[in-house]
Amino acid sequence: SQGLDYDNIENQLFLEEERRMSPMGFRCLEVSRWVVCGLIGFLTGLIACFIDIAVENLAGLKYEVIKRNIENFTETGGLSISLILWGGFNAAVVMLGSILVAFFEPIAGGSGIPQIKCYLNGVKIPRVVRLKTLVVKVFGVICSVVGGLAVGKEGPMIHSGAVVAAGVSQGRSTSLKRDFKMFEYFRRDTEKRDFVSAGAAAGVSAAFGAPVGGVLFSLEEGASFWNQMLTWRIFFASMISTFTLNFFLSIYHKKTGELSSPGLINFGRFESESVEYYLYEIPLFIAMGAIGGLLGALFNFLNYWITIFRIRYIHRPCLQVMEAMLVAAVTAAVSFTMIYFSNDCQPLAPENSEEYPLQLFCSDGEYNAMATAFFNTPERSVRSLFHNQPGSYNPLTLGLFTLTYFFLACWTYGLAVSAGVFIPSLLIGAAWGRLCGILLASVSPNASIWADPGKYALIGAAAQLGGIVRMTLSLTVIMVEATGNVTYGLPIMLVLMTAKIVGDYFIEGLYDIHIKLQSVPFLHWEAPATSHWLTAREVMSSPVTCLNRIEKVGTIVDTLSNTSTNHNGFPVVVESAGNDEPGKLCGLILRSQLIVLLKHKVFVELVRSRLTQRKLQLKDFRDAYPRFPPIQSIHVSQDERECMMDLTEFMNPTPYTVPQDTSLPRVFKLFRALGLRHLVVVDDENRVVGLVTRKDLARYHMGKHGLEELQLAQT
Amino acid sequence: ASFFNALFALFFMSFNQNTLLVVLSCICISVCVSGEVVSAGSPVFKTHVDPLYSLNLLTALNDYSDISQYCKDLLDLFGNQYVAYVNCLVPAARPVKVCQNCFVNFENLNKTYTNISSDEVGPAGEVCRDSLLRSDRLMLVFLLFSNLDGIWEKSNCKNCISSDSPSLTNDTLYFLAMLNQTYNCFDQYQQGNHTELCKNCKNTYRDLNILYSEMEKNYTMCIDIEDAMNVTRRRWSKTFNCSFPREENVPIIAVSSFMLFLPIIFYLSSFLHSEQKKRKLIQPKRVPQYSSLMNIQDKLS
Repeated sequence: SQGLDYDNIENQLFLEEERRMSPMGFRCLEVSRWVVCGLIGFLTGLIACFIDIAVENLAGLKYEVIKRNIENFTETGGLSISLILWGGFNAAVVMLGSILVAFFEPIAGGSGIPQIKCYLNGVKIPRVVRLKTLVVKVFGVICSVVGGLAVGKEGPMIHSGAVVAAGVSQGRSTSLKRDFKMFEYFRRDTEKRDFVSAGAAAGVSAAFGAPVGGVLFSLEEGASFWNQMLTWRIFFASMISTFTLNFFLSIYHKKTGELSSPGLINFGRFESESVEYYLYEIPLFIAMGAIGGLLGALFNFLNYWITIFRIRYIHRPCLQVMEAMLVAAVTAAVSFTMIYFSNDCQPLAPENSEEYPLQLFCSDGEYNAMATAFFNTPERSVRSLFHNQPGSYNPLTLGLFTLTYFFLACWTYGLAVSAGVFIPSLLIGAAWGRLCGILLASVSPNASIWADPGKYALIGAAAQLGGIVRMTLSLTVIMVEATGNVTYGLPIMLVLMTAKIVGDYFIEGLYDIHIKLQSVPFLHWEAPATSHWLTAREVMSSPVTCLNRIEKVGTIVDTLSNTSTNHNGFPVVVESAGNDEPGKLCGLILRSQLIVLLKHKVFVELVRSRLTQRKLQLKDFRDAYPRFPPIQSIHVSQDERECMMDLTEFMNPTPYTVPQDTSLPRVFKLFRALGLRHLVVVDDENRVVGLVTRKDLARYHMGKHGLEELQLAQT
Repeated sequence: ASFFNALFALFFMSFNQNTLLVVLSCICISVCVSGEVVSAGSPVFKTHVDPLYSLNLLTALNDYSDISQYCKDLLDLFGNQYVAYVNCLVPAARPVKVCQNCFVNFENLNKTYTNISSDEVGPAGEVCRDSLLRSDRLMLVFLLFSNLDGIWEKSNCKNCISSDSPSLTNDTLYFLAMLNQTYNCFDQYQQGNHTELCKNCKNTYRDLNILYSEMEKNYTMCIDIEDAMNVTRRRWSKTFNCSFPREENVPIIAVSSFMLFLPIIFYLSSFLHSEQKKRKLIQPKRVPQYSSLMNIQDKLS
């Protein structure tokens, strides 16, 4: 992983370009920002639409075939063949998705939310926003949902939105080798980050039909850099994405122009009678929040150990594919066994319209209630848990379902397939929440009036999801928007709050665990508590590799080629008299800039000798962005090595610096708020004594015994 | 009330502003006049002069009818047919036969109501729709009919009745014939062992089931058919216990435990044979005296 430079490099080239730009040019830039946001929303919505339709049709086909098979074999005997068919089908489809992920783009695995969180935080995990990642992600998620794994397609949608944003805003695709010569100004980390946050928001918005939730998600998870216009633009992108999804789905469902259908997951509307809740239910909700926190912590804890095992032992792609296939087959086997042995039969009624009702051993005209939970895409199961009439599930069915699905989902997350954890969490929560509602109704005599199982299913779903991912504000709004119901705002908020407090007592949120396991130098909102006594001197890396303002090309090439250090930013110093004395700081230059300079051979001698020399412009740096060639690919001849390079024009002449005694929280704040990548530590005579990077700060965290220092691993 | 509002709205729309004033004043006058009528009539009841007299007055008032003989006849006809239909409905409630038994009655009632609600001018130069349906707040005739019409709609009887000539559709008749056949079979084998019944009636029952699911798909079903099928299914599954038995426990358990066993082998083998990936830790480059946190903690204490 590497850092992103959110700090503007105000070198002379930058100043020149700004001087050349007319006020009209700036206005055009502003307009093109809006255009880009609109495009992001549009494309994200289209992708969501594609995924939705593909999953619906393929899953429909699968369940239709298996259902017919089961019906045949119920009569004639030989249901074990149906079981093998189901397991084999799942394993085959999941194998496709897993091969895509494991062999072609491992970064497309999982939900993608941790990666996007890192990106917005300022750490770029390589290849995270490439076109190839997007393609693998989209097809991977279709395969894993159709393959019947305990996964959802919402998390990947957020990643997809972010990739779309990163691609569209650049006006070119390096993978396809096409440059549309558009939006060239946006080819740098600062601008790209803003668009990526818009893309993530558009993804959330398309996934849940929650535009406001999307904006708040970007706010909560990512951006530490926020302003009003950016928020407004992000909101625009979110709205466009929901609109696009609605529009195209309305065409697909042959109701062209009807724009009221919500996002990918449709929780359905809650009817007005069941919406009511009373003051005395609030303690019940809070208790459910605590249960959600506990279960979420257990989920995270189990998943943490599974993930560690996977990192250590299952790191070869073919093993990963095998593991995914096994999980798919076992999911089918467990589901089938549960359905087979379930005695919960419910009458078929027009109002609970099951998509694929399985009768099995139920009387004619009835269907197997366990099958509505297992023999369905997870989203449909969530919806039926929310909305089916009281009495459409036995408590035993729900209990067994919660138990098995909990372990299946826990086992599934972290496989080398592209899949999200939102829907499985909601499903687990909805199942035990509904169970709570049913138990309440049976315990107290008049509770059957207010204890609507659908309402408790919703609360349970919120509690479980909150307990696993520990999101607060955005999740509340997403739930409110996805159910189209503001009435439950307060209960959902209380539940999520409780779930977070209880869960945080035991273990971190799932995404944070995975970020930590990937050894990403992630900076949280605040510096760890009680760290004021640590100073920059103790935190910084030292000694620093510095470059002179006019430096020999050979030295630069050697510095860049040094694989053991692989530094990214180099303080530029005025030549010092003594060799041991550190030089006085006069600027900061990045590896990427040096590579571009070397590539264009901007050497002092050549510039002098050449008569018609073309001056290097900011555009040359942008054209190379974001994939700067490695130093090995740049050929510097022996003669050229003796040349000199003048860095004055290109370096950032005013890098951020701190004195040696600056406390850790102060340094931390600079990094978090300004999105710095390098911070130079100087002594009282402005001489470079050290350099602080993200990795130096991310080591420290609050542990059980006070402040602890972590070991970061190379990735 | 909403009807009057609508009328007023119509007035407001069709008149220009000058006439609007006129209309408003007219309304005001009529309201005042009616007020006077009430205030003039009330002392009669307050005095309690003679109960007989007041009764006479009441009948005299009741005798005054604002509807023509033609409309009155229509109303009577409506009443008779209403009673006939309800009389038919109640015994047909269980088992549900509301469509097949009473569709003729409903057809008649519907025709009469259509007559009442048409805007045809009667012999007395009067539109019965206005006098019977819309002259009071209760709108009883409308209310009565809409109740029964609601029952008709809810029972989906339309699907079983062919519209041109009021009779049951061919589909329905065919279904009823099949149903009859199945019931005959049930009756034939009801005594004695039910397994016999399950075996012998299976074909008829299955044909009936297939026919039903086809009708379900085509939306050519009414409540009669649905209920008949439900009862039949319940008899078949619950009374005669002819559902499929759960007989394959052993193979299912064997196959699924084999599948459950696979991951255990997989994890064990990868634990034993796969090479453990060692993580390379990044050692921080620090100023020598502060290289580890231990020193700092010493300093702190």
